[in-house]
Amino acid sequence: MTLQMLVQIPLLGVAGWLLAQGTPARLRRVLAAWNHRGVSGLVLASLTGLVWMLPRAMDAAVDVPLVTLAKFLSVPLLLGAAIALSWPRMGFVVRGVFLVELIATCFRMGWLYLVSPVRLCSNYLLDDQQRLGKYLVGIGGAVVLILAWKLMWGRIDTGRTERKDPPIGPR
Amino acid sequence: MTVLRTLLASLAILVAGIAVLAFSTDGFRAYTTETARRIDVRTHPRPVPPLVLQAADGTRTSFAALRGRWLLVDFIYTRCTTYCSVQGGEFANLQRWLAGPIAAGKVTLVSVSFDPRDEPAQLAGYQRRFGDSGTGWVAVRAVASADRAVLMRVFGVTAVADGLGGFVHNAAINVVNPDGKLVAILDWDDPRAAARYITRRLTP
Amino acid sequence: MASLTMYPEEERLQGADRVAFNLYIISAVVLFVLMMLIGVAMRMTQANWYGVPPALFYQLLSMHGAGMVGSMVLATTAVMWFFLRKYVRLHLWALVTNYVLFMLGALCLIVSIFGGGYAALWTFLYPLPTHGVGMWSPHAAALFMLGYLLIGVGELIFYLDAAAGIIKVYGNLGRALGLHWLFGGTIDQNHPKTVVASTSMIIANSLGILAGAVVLVMSLINIFYPQVVLDALFTKTLIYWFGHMYINAAIYMGVIAIYELLSRYSGRPYPLTRVFLWAWAATTLFVIIVFPHHLMMDYAEPHWFLLMGQTVSWASGFPVVVVTAYGALTNIYRANMRWSMPSKLLVLSLFGWVAGGFAAVLDSTIRINLVMHNTQWVPGHFHFYLLLGALAMALALMYHVIGSRAHAPPNSSADRLGFPVYVGGALIFLFAFLDAGHLSVPRRMYPHLEAWLPTDAIGSVGGILVLLAMIYFAIRITVGLLKTPSPAAAGGLGDRAADAAG
Repeated sequence: MTLQMLVQIPLLGVAGWLLAQGTPARLRRVLAAWNHRGVSGLVLASLTGLVWMLPRAMDAAVDVPLVTLAKFLSVPLLLGAAIALSWPRMGFVVRGVFLVELIATCFRMGWLYLVSPVRLCSNYLLDDQQRLGKYLVGIGGAVVLILAWKLMWGRIDTGRTERKDPPIGPR
Repeated sequence: MTVLRTLLASLAILVAGIAVLAFSTDGFRAYTTETARRIDVRTHPRPVPPLVLQAADGTRTSFAALRGRWLLVDFIYTRCTTYCSVQGGEFANLQRWLAGPIAAGKVTLVSVSFDPRDEPAQLAGYQRRFGDSGTGWVAVRAVASADRAVLMRVFGVTAVADGLGGFVHNAAINVVNPDGKLVAILDWDDPRAAARYITRRLTP
Repeated sequence: MASLTMYPEEERLQGADRVAFNLYIISAVVLFVLMMLIGVAMRMTQANWYGVPPALFYQLLSMHGAGMVGSMVLATTAVMWFFLRKYVRLHLWALVTNYVLFMLGALCLIVSIFGGGYAALWTFLYPLPTHGVGMWSPHAAALFMLGYLLIGVGELIFYLDAAAGIIKVYGNLGRALGLHWLFGGTIDQNHPKTVVASTSMIIANSLGILAGAVVLVMSLINIFYPQVVLDALFTKTLIYWFGHMYINAAIYMGVIAIYELLSRYSGRPYPLTRVFLWAWAATTLFVIIVFPHHLMMDYAEPHWFLLMGQTVSWASGFPVVVVTAYGALTNIYRANMRWSMPSKLLVLSLFGWVAGGFAAVLDSTIRINLVMHNTQWVPGHFHFYLLLGALAMALALMYHVIGSRAHAPPNSSADRLGFPVYVGGALIFLFAFLDAGHLSVPRRMYPHLEAWLPTDAIGSVGGILVLLAMIYFAIRITVGLLKTPSPAAAGGLGDRAADAAG
């Protein structure tokens, strides 16, 4: 469970992020025209994340080959790539809300896994679930500290790298 | 313009996303596989395949032969030294509480082992250990190894090796009706609820 | 250093800014009147003058607590915004989004309490919300928590936008707090105190909102999946961390009004000192770690945790008293003070804050808390620095703004009557609470025993006076804000960029 959630899925996300770096300019512009301030990309990534947070989905990804395929496609494309293409378009506030929710979700899930008396996933052991809970809380805390440090004493870009919304169609 | 398109796109994604979530959770009811299988069995009772089983005394039987009565089925492995060993004691209790219906041939308790190492001798020892009264409780195992997987799939049983030579499995008390259909999956640690479930449905 | 110009051009409200500010302030004063009405109803019920049924009492208490805290933050958010926008770029959409989410959240609270019967108080203390004993459903409790989530997210969005603006100008939050001047260097006198105070609360309250976001969702999960059992002590700790920072943020945002306005009325500059920066750096840290003073009677908490609560509570007094109060007093001492409503309210707020603070520090002492905990001393002390502190600060700004319309600080005869009624009524109301505390009258309770009725009666009298004054203030301020500015205000400044701060 720890491996799936903290290693495999993040790696899939990173793969999607890397993939997005090679998006052709034209496709980028078309997507950007539907992605003002990165909002639709964020919604897509969040919902995809929500689906894969379901214990059922985690179990099914191990048991049902079709679901495994769905995971290997959706996490890189609908999560990793979506974030990669949307992040530069997001303003400070949207990024902030995203990060705060990410941290809060880490804490909530960690807490849930630590206190749940039942195994949420049938395919994994209880001590695996608890260990994952501890790690998630730790990760949440680490992100808070890193963000706090950057905001207090570091450098943060408050603007959007790709500021303009491009029109669809020929330049 | 982009703002409008984004709003449209976000709305569409939101609707699609909620639809996927609703579908994945059986209408926001089942977030875990366990809850999902229980709801599924309740709404769509599954026929139990008439596979050949071997009982603790070595004789052959099958789920087909056990039709015509209510069955309380649990999945065990005789080497269990942790909490799932409580299942044996529970079935011994159920044997006493449902002695009447059992004697009338209306109820039988079935413990199915999913451990390939369990032979009839181990099954017999298991029942003896927990105070089997002798009637109405059979401990069985699938004869063909492929059948074991089929049984576990039909009943929705997952067993994960626990690293100590045993298993961690989603223990439960499964209810099969006289027509041979799996109709309910009840909490493994509430045998009284299982007894009540059966007695309410027995025709007087 | 804050400008000495009474009504600087950069502060002029026009167009959408004006509408947004009016929305905030008018909503806030209306909510204050309504919440005070509820408060007076409760005091009178306790005094056996006018009865509401016991179940309704706790619903009223839930509404009053949540409503007052929310309204106070709404008002002081407007205070912070009003001044901060001069120095950094704040986006109107963030301010409006906060307002919309606040209103939606408030609606959830109102429906859950008066529609669903939720009466588990603002603290939604686990596992009380799930045990409605037939008086409210788990769904009502869930709606209440949803309301909190909406309000919290709204405020977070406002803070994030403010943080973006501050970071753009000052580089990072540490520099905005002036931390690089703590140990030396020449302090830039143009560095606004408003930025220091705003940054401090952005940091502290964002953490509080994060804690709230976690504990609210976990409480919601518990409501719908009772098998997920939470550690009650840990949950309580998080709830109080969230609530404590939220209400403290209200006061510390309100104090911006003192920093900006006082010197205009005293005619004396109010320089930025190293002590001031130390005070705010300390306050930022203290506000985050002082919250164990709410948990003194939870013996199961670690000892060091409770000791920290007491020690830091005592320490928190220093920035407040030594720096702000004393500093402000030295600013007005022997100055040619223009006494009008804004300046009277500002100086009153210093008194309210310090006096309430003393009562608070006393109660934060474990030995004393043993006796005072959950007596009416507690509402006594926090009503002190809210009624006569934070609210006075907010009212000061409101009066200052309506003064800018007429280009003269308001000081009508009605005002000169309203002020003593407000102060006098408040003092009666507050000392009734404090006396009740010393008599060990429990808080959050109805019906009351015979022996407690006298202080309830006195408190009711004081409360009625405060309510009357507040009704007057609400009308005065609403009318004043909706009036069009006099033509003199626009004269000769036409070609200067309308909003220099966005």
